[in-house]
Amino acid sequence: MDLLLHLAVVVAIYSIFALSLNVEIGYTGLFNFGHVAFFAIGAYTSALLTLSGAPFAVGLLAGLAAAGVCGYLLSIPALKLQGDYFGIATLGFGEILRMVVSNEVWLTKGPMGLPGIPRPEILGFIFDTLPAYLALSACMALTTFAILAFVVLSPFGRALKAVRDDETAAEILGKNALRFKIKSFVIGSTFAGLAGVLWAHYTTFISPGDFTLTETILVLLIVVMGGKGTLPGPVLGAVALIFFQESVRFLRLPPEWTRLLGPLQQMVFGLLLVVLMVFRPEGIIRERGGRHGD
Amino acid sequence: MDSISYYLQTALNGILAGCIYALFAMGLTLIYGVLNFVNFAHGELIMWGAYFLFLFMGEPFGLPLYAAIPPALALTGCLGVAMDFSVFRPLRWANRLTLLIAAMGLSVFLRNAAQFFWGAEVRTYGLEVSAGTRFFGLYLTMPQMAIILVTLLCVGAVYLLFFRSRLGKSMRALSDNLDLARISGIDTKRAILAAWVISAVLAAIGGILLALDTNLSPEMGIINLIKAFAATLIGGVGNLWGALLGGLLIGLAENLGVLFISPGYKDGIAFVIMVIILLARPYVIVGERSD
Repeated sequence: MDLLLHLAVVVAIYSIFALSLNVEIGYTGLFNFGHVAFFAIGAYTSALLTLSGAPFAVGLLAGLAAAGVCGYLLSIPALKLQGDYFGIATLGFGEILRMVVSNEVWLTKGPMGLPGIPRPEILGFIFDTLPAYLALSACMALTTFAILAFVVLSPFGRALKAVRDDETAAEILGKNALRFKIKSFVIGSTFAGLAGVLWAHYTTFISPGDFTLTETILVLLIVVMGGKGTLPGPVLGAVALIFFQESVRFLRLPPEWTRLLGPLQQMVFGLLLVVLMVFRPEGIIRERGGRHGD
Repeated sequence: MDSISYYLQTALNGILAGCIYALFAMGLTLIYGVLNFVNFAHGELIMWGAYFLFLFMGEPFGLPLYAAIPPALALTGCLGVAMDFSVFRPLRWANRLTLLIAAMGLSVFLRNAAQFFWGAEVRTYGLEVSAGTRFFGLYLTMPQMAIILVTLLCVGAVYLLFFRSRLGKSMRALSDNLDLARISGIDTKRAILAAWVISAVLAAIGGILLALDTNLSPEMGIINLIKAFAATLIGGVGNLWGALLGGLLIGLAENLGVLFISPGYKDGIAFVIMVIILLARPYVIVGERSD
């Protein structure tokens, strides 16, 4: 039962993470390969603030704000780049951020990580049990889903898709493509920060090792497998992949296997990405009216 | 050691690192030029090249270094071709996002495959460490001398191949315009195949040199991919000589930069340079490609 609740919490957090990436990669066509950086910024901001005595609400809001502001600052140089180059620039940013977190020991304790992050407390209620935490993260996930659904279904969302499908045409119709991309990137970064905050207060311990390229790959796979550019896609992907990943962790395997299990699982993820791209690039749920395979 | 020779030694180390980055960047920019996409799995060719050598030098082969290098290079060349056949050729006319995600997936797969077989730990080839030789007050070890010589040889070979052979001419034609090259009767399949082999072999040579001078680990590819990319950006994407120059600059900047900032940030210097270049203008030193 606890395992199921745990899985549900992780699914909720990763749904938020994946929904935020989907705004960028699915709706705007921005190849963000450093998305984990904003997850980390949210997690570290909130963890550091609450560890020094600030209430959870402050940590949460600061985490969102920090991730959003960093997203804005990165987008200014990075969005000068098209497609592949933007991908590498964001990938590099993800690595740099991890380097900062590992090196600025005075702030982040470096590779030692931050233990004992307090459980969230809102109006005197402490979310310290699994069901309570599930309720909190499910609420956040639903709110995220609702807000992002509103965003992408609005005229703004249609403009994002227009920029993705044909930037020149969108410009001719009077849409400032760069401004739309920046907004999309900031929205995506902010919600990735939310996922990071929830993650930090759930595991109560974070270290630079939690925020590697592996996390970006997982969330990328969640989005493209579920169906990028669709609303239910990232949630479906999160359910499928988190169940797969976390259930493997709870298999009782001989210790000499577990050393091989990590790389093997990543090999499966990598292969899944390749196979999906070759045979069904649109993912499980197909975007309606979108352009595919061109 | 007095301070001037200390700075000179640091600059020399920068050039050594730069030679290796240049080899990586030339392979990356070659594939970009011919196929017009950034091969995110290029780092894995670097890493597998180094591990193939490790494979042939260890049990059951137990080959000496000089005998293990040719099969290691050949296998990496095959890996490059296999990547193209299995993933990139079916996606030749797919959209960029599809291609990029596939390359990313391939990179994850290959990196973890190496970790699966050899573990995540840092390894060396177990060669005897030789004392450096002194030249004008500067120290240079055997692997470091090899870095300089081999890079010079590679650059010479690339020059001859690209600017003095028919195959090179056809690759340059492809790089200018794929469709035009095809209707002019150029054997594009052969040229693309050759580009993959050359790119992979350059990556393997660089990876092996790096591993000889330092060590090997499954992560060595992805770290160097970012540096190789920064080097190609400096030089103008698709420009071979620009990549060479960009690689040298990144190597120098990294090693001289550590004199001023914490060594923990050494791997971040390339990224910072990249951001500065982007803020200024995407293509600087050598100039823009004609398209």
